[in-house]
Amino acid sequence: MLTFKVKRRIIYLGIFCFTLFLCFFYVIKTLNQSLLYFKTPSEIFDDQNLDLSKEIRLGGMVKKNSIKVNKREIQFIITDLKKEILVSYKGTVPNLFLEEKGVIAEGKLKDKKFFIANRVLAKHDENYKPPSENQLDKK
Amino acid sequence: MIEKLFLMNGYGAYVWASFGIVFISCLILFIRTYNKLKKYEKNFIKEIQELNKEEKKVLQTRSKIFTQVLKSQKKII
Amino acid sequence: MMRNLFSLNKIYIFSEKTLTFIKSVFPVLLILGLTFALVLSPPDYLQGDVVRIMYVHVPSAWIALGTFSTLTVLSIINFIFKIKILEIVNLCIAPIGLLFTCLAIITGSIWAEPTWGTWWAWDARLTSMIVLMFFYVMIIYSQKHIKPKNRSLMFTSIISIIGAINIPIIKYSVEWWNTLHQPASIKITGETSIHSSMLMPLMLMLLILLLYSALIFLMKYKTEIIKVKRSGVKRL
Repeated sequence: MLTFKVKRRIIYLGIFCFTLFLCFFYVIKTLNQSLLYFKTPSEIFDDQNLDLSKEIRLGGMVKKNSIKVNKREIQFIITDLKKEILVSYKGTVPNLFLEEKGVIAEGKLKDKKFFIANRVLAKHDENYKPPSENQLDKK
Repeated sequence: MIEKLFLMNGYGAYVWASFGIVFISCLILFIRTYNKLKKYEKNFIKEIQELNKEEKKVLQTRSKIFTQVLKSQKKII
Repeated sequence: MMRNLFSLNKIYIFSEKTLTFIKSVFPVLLILGLTFALVLSPPDYLQGDVVRIMYVHVPSAWIALGTFSTLTVLSIINFIFKIKILEIVNLCIAPIGLLFTCLAIITGSIWAEPTWGTWWAWDARLTSMIVLMFFYVMIIYSQKHIKPKNRSLMFTSIISIIGAINIPIIKYSVEWWNTLHQPASIKITGETSIHSSMLMPLMLMLLILLLYSALIFLMKYKTEIIKVKRSGVKRL
């Protein structure tokens, strides 16, 4: 049914797409590490050759009852439910910075347990619901 | 009530800005496409009006697009 | 049969009818949608009223992605079967895609400021969205400024096929890598995590923006048909 020309074009296209797919797969695979926007506390714990002088982003959840505010700084614990890192930060936090919600801190590690942030971003989840619904859930 | 709608608990500026940007840019694209369409329709009619009577008759029987464009322009030749 | 289906006359009359239909329902839907999005829908339990930006941000992003997918599929079919109409369709939908990509990026950035605490972050989702915008720009450039015709067609097809790889990357970037952007709320399989009182206005706004895109598409399409016919008037 298909003419010779059409068949030839389909073959060309197939070869083109296949090579393209392979190239991209390889590129993504090599770039995989740098595509990560932040590291979790577990990843930092497992990292053997950690560069403490380099600026990194640390992400996870703010541990419950861990936020301590004093005059000069705000301290809280970032956890991924396996490992924890204490973060110290001077400055204002976004509105959605709350306990048991996602957070990303930008800054440097002092050691594997302590992190000094110079910027804090809030990472919210994909759940959207009206406030009354939430109160019903709590009851 | 109205005040609450505009302020939105302090988030009003963000919400209204984003809705405004979407609305205005959509409106601009709409107006531009509309004007372009009208311009082409006008030119099309002009070209047809330059044809002689017999050619027009042939067009009218053959091309429905021609009659449709005429209708939208509300012009009779 | 194929010829009959794609006959310019029939398409022109069909688009005329659809246009009048859209024009008649659009104002009502727009008012209804905006009231739901801005007044009647509840604020979010965590984000408060900022969540209303979702009603323009999410549909814009969907339309941007959908348009690019359509563009690619049509380019592939056109490359294989050489159907002239599809070129015209591609010419008409590319600007719509670019508009909604830009809108998704801008509204997203306005949304990010009060929620995340930054206007912009180079995470995987946001970066791939910028890449999508560049692909649209390249496609529109090659459609408009590369001559002769068959060369511009070849460039457009190649760019749209290469760009198609970006689509699944945008879609799954939030699952494959750690990103600042939250994962998708509405999944093709599985439960959606948006409450129904907020899902309804979202779908309504999607419908409105889709109708708007159809409106623009049909007007552009009519213009292109007139362009084609005009060069044929003298010969009739």
